[in-house]
Amino acid sequence: MSVAMPESITTNGYTDDLRYEIFNREFMPHIDSMYNFAFRLTMDEDDANDLVQDTYLKAFRFISSFEQGTNAKAWLFRILKNSFINDYRKKSKEPSKVDYQEVETTYNSEEASDTTYTVDLRADAVQELIGDEVANALNALPVDFRTVIILCDIEGFTYEEMAKILDIPIGTVRSRLHRARNLLKEKLKSYASSMGYDS
Amino acid sequence: MNASSHTPSDTEDAQKQPMKHSCEHHAECMKIIQSILDDEATEAEKDHFRENMDKCLPCIEAYRLEKCIKESLSIKLVKRPCPQSILDTILSKVNS
Repeated sequence: MSVAMPESITTNGYTDDLRYEIFNREFMPHIDSMYNFAFRLTMDEDDANDLVQDTYLKAFRFISSFEQGTNAKAWLFRILKNSFINDYRKKSKEPSKVDYQEVETTYNSEEASDTTYTVDLRADAVQELIGDEVANALNALPVDFRTVIILCDIEGFTYEEMAKILDIPIGTVRSRLHRARNLLKEKLKSYASSMGYDS
Repeated sequence: MNASSHTPSDTEDAQKQPMKHSCEHHAECMKIIQSILDDEATEAEKDHFRENMDKCLPCIEAYRLEKCIKESLSIKLVKRPCPQSILDTILSKVNS
């Protein structure tokens, strides 16, 4: 039985059957990655659940603007990121956790990334760290920096895809990633020091 | 010298060169290392990497560290499956 949904009137050439097919074939396989992205952004299980649910319902509602054959995962991540900024970031506990001085210094100081910037951290010390310690170091980063590392190093998006997901130029992706990694090294260094791995 | 033998000869020369213990363009090298590890390097960056990375200790160590961090993020972090209840809710709302 075909249920006449209001949205079906406005879809661009997609029949109801095709909308369901695209949703199941192109969108659903990414649900675990989406859930992990949502959890790492919100750092709250309930918010992550709501964010994933909202994103998938939005994706279905606006499926007419998804072009078959294009990158569905990047398209979904972009919706999730925008939903996070618009609906969750304001109400999340994030602002109190952010060290604004750190953000400002890292964002504004070109020298911080362009001069020789080294953190006294060895690969061997990082190898000793367990997943929870790496996750805590990542979670300690301001969300914009955390996001680029998640997209690049965990989800494997290209710079071009990240630029589209985040609505920023590729050059900004590159420099933000560079700064995020320097900041992450500082956090990893303090974990490694506290565990005695760097001696 | 036979032109066709320049690659092995260059490699031998490079091996004879003393290892650098400081890098005068480390900031630039760090950007190249990032591009290489992210598989986003230009041909010029790849050339620079190939020509210099085996004779500069700070760059070798930086490459090892960046590679190790990238791999740790990819391998060590727990990936949670989306709860079944969320999947069920999404599918029921989409199908309603």
